[in-house]
Amino acid sequence: MLQVEELSKVYVSGKIKVQALKGVSFAVTKGEFVAIMGPSGSGKSTLLHLLGCFDHPTSGRYKLNGINVAGLNDDQLAEIRNKYIGFVFQQFNLLSRATILQNVEIPLIYAGINKKRRLEIAREMLEKVGLEHRLDHLPTEISGGQRQRVAIARALAINPSLILADEPTGNLDSQTSAEIMDLFHELNNQGQTIILVTHEEDIARHAKRRIYLVDGEIRYDEVTPS
Amino acid sequence: MIWETIKMAVHSLKSNKLRTLLSMLGIIIGVGAVIAVISIGAGSQQEVTSSIAEMGSNLINIRPGTSRGRFGRFSKAAQNVFTMELAEAIVDYCPSVIRIAPRNETSGHFVFAGNNYLATLTGTTTDFLVINKYRPEHGKFFNNYDLTHANNVIVLGSDLAKELFAGLDPVGRKITFLYNQHSLVFNIIGVMEEKERGISGDLNGSAYIPITTYLQVISNSRYINSFLAQAASSEVAGAAVEEIKYLLTKYVKDGEEFNLFSQDQLLQTITEISGTMTLMLSGIAAISLLVGGIGIMNIMLVSVTERTREVGIRKALGAKKKHILTQFLIEALTMSCTGGILGIIFGEICAYVTALLGNWPFVISPLSILLAFSFSLTVGVFFGIYPAVKAAKLDPVIALSYE
Ligand SMILES: Nc1ncnc2c1ncn2[C@@H]1O[C@H](COP(=O)(O)OP(=O)(O)O)[C@@H](O)[C@H]1O
Ligand SMILES: [Mg+2]
Repeated sequence: MLQVEELSKVYVSGKIKVQALKGVSFAVTKGEFVAIMGPSGSGKSTLLHLLGCFDHPTSGRYKLNGINVAGLNDDQLAEIRNKYIGFVFQQFNLLSRATILQNVEIPLIYAGINKKRRLEIAREMLEKVGLEHRLDHLPTEISGGQRQRVAIARALAINPSLILADEPTGNLDSQTSAEIMDLFHELNNQGQTIILVTHEEDIARHAKRRIYLVDGEIRYDEVTPS
Repeated sequence: MIWETIKMAVHSLKSNKLRTLLSMLGIIIGVGAVIAVISIGAGSQQEVTSSIAEMGSNLINIRPGTSRGRFGRFSKAAQNVFTMELAEAIVDYCPSVIRIAPRNETSGHFVFAGNNYLATLTGTTTDFLVINKYRPEHGKFFNNYDLTHANNVIVLGSDLAKELFAGLDPVGRKITFLYNQHSLVFNIIGVMEEKERGISGDLNGSAYIPITTYLQVISNSRYINSFLAQAASSEVAGAAVEEIKYLLTKYVKDGEEFNLFSQDQLLQTITEISGTMTLMLSGIAAISLLVGGIGIMNIMLVSVTERTREVGIRKALGAKKKHILTQFLIEALTMSCTGGILGIIFGEICAYVTALLGNWPFVISPLSILLAFSFSLTVGVFFGIYPAVKAAKLDPVIALSYE
């Protein structure tokens, strides 16, 4: 479903060049649950941004669902994100002035789905994450764990081939983190492909496979020891 | 999709009402000022124009020229030709002129039953009535028979009748006019209606006698002080002026020797002045519109910066450049158009109140409304496009990490 070959990324700011990724290659098949691990600054977020079609790689190839993503322009990448990828961020990234229901609607608006169908889907997704009784609340009126559930519902709304999560429990306490991870676990059991960035062993334990990055290179790529 | 975007824009503007209102203020005031100025200009001009037209935009005043200086005397050369024969010549040889009335005036004391009243005695002909649309209210005006026989008859203006005859019917009585130590007695044959001030000034404070009588008993000469000519219509008033000028130059060598003044000229001058004023004020108002536009751009730029993260989120969720561009552009347009509409309402209210106070007609000009609205639309696009493009160009990764 997803193949990267010799993917590398160089950030240039002024005269300073930072090589955040140095030729990374791996493949992910449908239904996998992968944890990307590594120390801070090792290039985890950079890799996730490339996988999420946020950014253009400096070199290398990236195929998602058979589409060669590396050659696409910004608007084409936006379309790929909208069609295939659901994001979950550490900072939740909900629109603070929109209700929970409206937040889940957003990707569906850009997918050009009509209002009636959008509301149906958004309600269904919020029900799936257990927030059907909070539809008209603002993000500021609910807890951190609930916000992350809204973000997951929003990611699920477009029925993505791939869910990408960047430290999704980084801002949550351990109890709530465990609940969120249970939710990811359950989604994966239903066949959802998930790639998750974390530096916590406890979190990575939920994944079936882990890719460990050091200094922009894959140190190891292995099945999670049980 | 566009509808969704408009709803999104309105939602976002509503969530910051005070700021939205403040940033629309420039447009509201600018459009309001333009609308008010144009509307007030049109209304007052209509008032002036119609009151001049009522006086008769086809009337022409002809006087002998005066020598220079404030108390300059009538030019001798011109005065010599200002006679009733000249009046006949003007009517005969100027095809655009349909009638002409002489007007000689002097002031003195009218006396009745021991009371006296200072007023003007006017010598003229029956055409004076037609030209001024002036009618006797009681009794009658003198006729051609009185004119040819220079009869000793008089018709009183309404003020004079009121002041000296309080309640009594003046018709059939005699009135004495004291002038230069002369005492002249006239038979009153009519009282005129009350008339508003017109081109001939205040008619109510005068009394009227045949010009022939006037020349015989008052001035003891042949000379006429001034003529009031009427052109066939206001369209040919200009032609009439030229014809009279041409004729007069045959009698008087120097063109400076007489004065011609038509209502049409006055009208043109007033229209020009008020047109210039409206243009000038509209220019000033347009500048405030421009300032209003800059205000909107400023707020939109602040808004784009503030909402960098929102743009990042929307892009992450699949918004393309055009979606972000239209979102911000429509926000700017919604502000400028709402501002425009409020400004139009505000301007028309100002114009209405001014019209009430100034006692002139309230004129709504659909053209100026259309113009003001499309102008505010243009301002919205022009000043909204830059912030919108800036938002659309944001890199999603950078936008998402923006604090
Ligand atoms: N936009 C950027 N511009 C310049 N350097 C960057 C940028 N983003 C990340 N980097 C650098 O790239 C390296 C990898 O960063 P990142 O992928 O964020 O690491 P991680 O998520 O593993 O902490 C770091 O050295 C970081 O400073
Ligand atoms: Mg990171």
